[in-house]
Amino acid sequence: MVILETVGLKGGYNGENVLKGIDLRLESGGFLGVIGPNGCGKSTLVKAISGVLPRVYGDVRLKDELISDMSRKEIAKVVAVVPQKAYISFPFSVEEVVSMGRTPHLGRFESVVGEHAVKVEGSLEAVGLSEMADRNVRDLSGGEFQRVLLARALAQEPELILLDEATSHLDIGHKLDVLGLVSRLNKKEGLAVITVHHNLNLAARFCNEVMLMDQGEIHAIGRPEEVITPNHLRAVYGVEAEVNKDVRNGSLYVVPLIKGDHKTPKNKVVHVVGGGGSAEEMMKELIEEGYEVTTGVLNAMDSDLKAARFMSIEAVIESPFSEISPLKMKENISKMKEADVIVVAPFPIGPGNLRNLKSVEVCAKEGSRVILIKDGDVGARDYTEGEAVAIWGMLKNIDNVKICDEPSDLNELLEKIL
Amino acid sequence: MGAPFREHPKLCFTLLALGLVLVMVASLTVGSKAVNIPVERVVGIVLSRLPLIGRKMPEYSDKDISIIILVRLPRLLMGVLVGAGLSVSGSSMQGIFRNPLASPYILGFSAGGALGASIAIVLGLGLFWLPIFAFILGMSTAFLVFFLGRVNGRIDTPSLLLAGIAVGSFMGALTSYIKFMSHRGLQDIVFWIMGGLHGSMWSHVFILIPLISVSSAIVLFFSRELNVLQTGEESASQLGVEVQRSKVILLCVSSLLASAVVAFTGVIGFVGLIMPHSARLLVGPNHRHLIPTSAVLGALFLVGCDTLVRLMGNMPVGIVTGLFGAPFFIYLLVKNRGDTGW
Repeated sequence: MVILETVGLKGGYNGENVLKGIDLRLESGGFLGVIGPNGCGKSTLVKAISGVLPRVYGDVRLKDELISDMSRKEIAKVVAVVPQKAYISFPFSVEEVVSMGRTPHLGRFESVVGEHAVKVEGSLEAVGLSEMADRNVRDLSGGEFQRVLLARALAQEPELILLDEATSHLDIGHKLDVLGLVSRLNKKEGLAVITVHHNLNLAARFCNEVMLMDQGEIHAIGRPEEVITPNHLRAVYGVEAEVNKDVRNGSLYVVPLIKGDHKTPKNKVVHVVGGGGSAEEMMKELIEEGYEVTTGVLNAMDSDLKAARFMSIEAVIESPFSEISPLKMKENISKMKEADVIVVAPFPIGPGNLRNLKSVEVCAKEGSRVILIKDGDVGARDYTEGEAVAIWGMLKNIDNVKICDEPSDLNELLEKIL
Repeated sequence: MGAPFREHPKLCFTLLALGLVLVMVASLTVGSKAVNIPVERVVGIVLSRLPLIGRKMPEYSDKDISIIILVRLPRLLMGVLVGAGLSVSGSSMQGIFRNPLASPYILGFSAGGALGASIAIVLGLGLFWLPIFAFILGMSTAFLVFFLGRVNGRIDTPSLLLAGIAVGSFMGALTSYIKFMSHRGLQDIVFWIMGGLHGSMWSHVFILIPLISVSSAIVLFFSRELNVLQTGEESASQLGVEVQRSKVILLCVSSLLASAVVAFTGVIGFVGLIMPHSARLLVGPNHRHLIPTSAVLGALFLVGCDTLVRLMGNMPVGIVTGLFGAPFFIYLLVKNRGDTGW
């Protein structure tokens, strides 16, 4: 069942629209993480979905009903919000605050007894606060108070729960507690969840769908590995980051690699020919310098390919441990021709990947600019009984082919050529 | 923490109600020195007016009967109604605005009411017109403030409070101008503004009974909304409360409570500000318990003060509410230092 659907959602506060057209769909059982830089409209989106944004254009539907046609109580029966922080102006007890979650279910003359009291108790138990029911909420620690707010949201019996940076102020243990609990409810009871995060790793770990927002628009939406990529992070946050996969739980983790100022995109494409780890560092540096990078052909298990994937570098891929097929070679040549320059990394050349060097030869003859790295040791990495050295030697004599003996000089050379 | 009766709000309410009955009886027996009516006769006269048991009572002198029935009893009941009304109005205002300084007079109807009363006094209109003038000007001031405090169709709390202060000052200036320009009635105006229960009549009681009981009941029915509002307006909306509608209803009801009271008794300070705080310190912040407790506490306090006033020779009750209320509140404040509930 579709719990939430927004079509062309725009809106904001006074004057300017913070949200500039959001199309979003969430089924029951969905777990969506919303990420994006400060001011991108994440919290505004939460307000729009929970019906408290002053100005809204476009459609927000909860369970197929337009939110503008629903009463506050009807909305609150579907959507509960756990805010980042809340200030409660009186010393209410934990139980009193959690009981407030029953508000949408109570008639004017009803009070929290019977099934309502059971729900409140259940919510307190779910967050492990049963023993603290009588405590003054203002005497609680930040982590305990955040759990009270979560229990209040659970007492609402919502079908969609919105966590608006609800774990930002918690230590790592409590972060995992809260998200773990929500995650269990998501799996067991099909509770739909939207979490707004600053922490990309938590988003990647808990959400089965991630939405990256930028300036009020959806920059990317999809599975975490499709959205949390170095290219997207660079475009939206302006940071260089490495995205790795945790070997233990299979979730992604992001390692920021900022080196001083971020380089502006150069709009130049560099095709890197590498393999066996020879091109890994080079690709990372090219990306950091702001080049767009493509690579190929690489075998599926190659360490350079792994690096390329983490950096969202487009690659031409051949099956593992097999010779490059004529088909892949052709595809690679077309990639090479699209590039502004081809960089040949000091990769070990064997019969399996000799076609890569042959492809470079084809392109060089047709006028593509080529840079050969580490000319000196080419004999040592030739496993083709001289064939590779021969091609290499011929390449060197072509006008548009340059030699770069030190990989660290590559950037300077590129600047000169392009 | 404070709130000794937090776990037992009903016990607290019962104790206060018993206290109120005692003070009411005591209040009836207190009169000026010239008129000394023994306690048993006072009780007898009151009982003789009740149905069923009334007939079994002995006959009393007409003078005693008229003093008790026409003077002391309406004054006593006015004390109960006014004390409860101001106190409920104050609890509600503090809850709506989430502001400890909010009081029934926040929207400026005391200033408006005082202006209305001054006009009626200067024009030489009688006791019939005075409350009507006070009520009309009080309510119109409140609506003006209300109107000024609306931003984009929503009630904006800071704007409303500031508008209340500004409009109130303007009305106060007008009243001062009238006082300065008129020699006739100056003392009457000053006396009215200080507030008191001395002019109480049965007709006032009969007007206030439905007004105050219905309005207080409405505030009580909105106690859940008031509670949830304490978590912030946005959060209250997300919990299913129609925030704007609740605020408008509660503001109207609280304004009605306070301006009805002001119209008959003048400005009796302190009850509406301090009694809600005191009740909160007794039973905690839950409005379901807070509203009834502050009603009884307000009534008890005002009747008590009015009794003292009569012992001390009929000064304006506002002086006594201040003289006794302020130290009492300071005592609670010191005892619960740092935990006044805000």
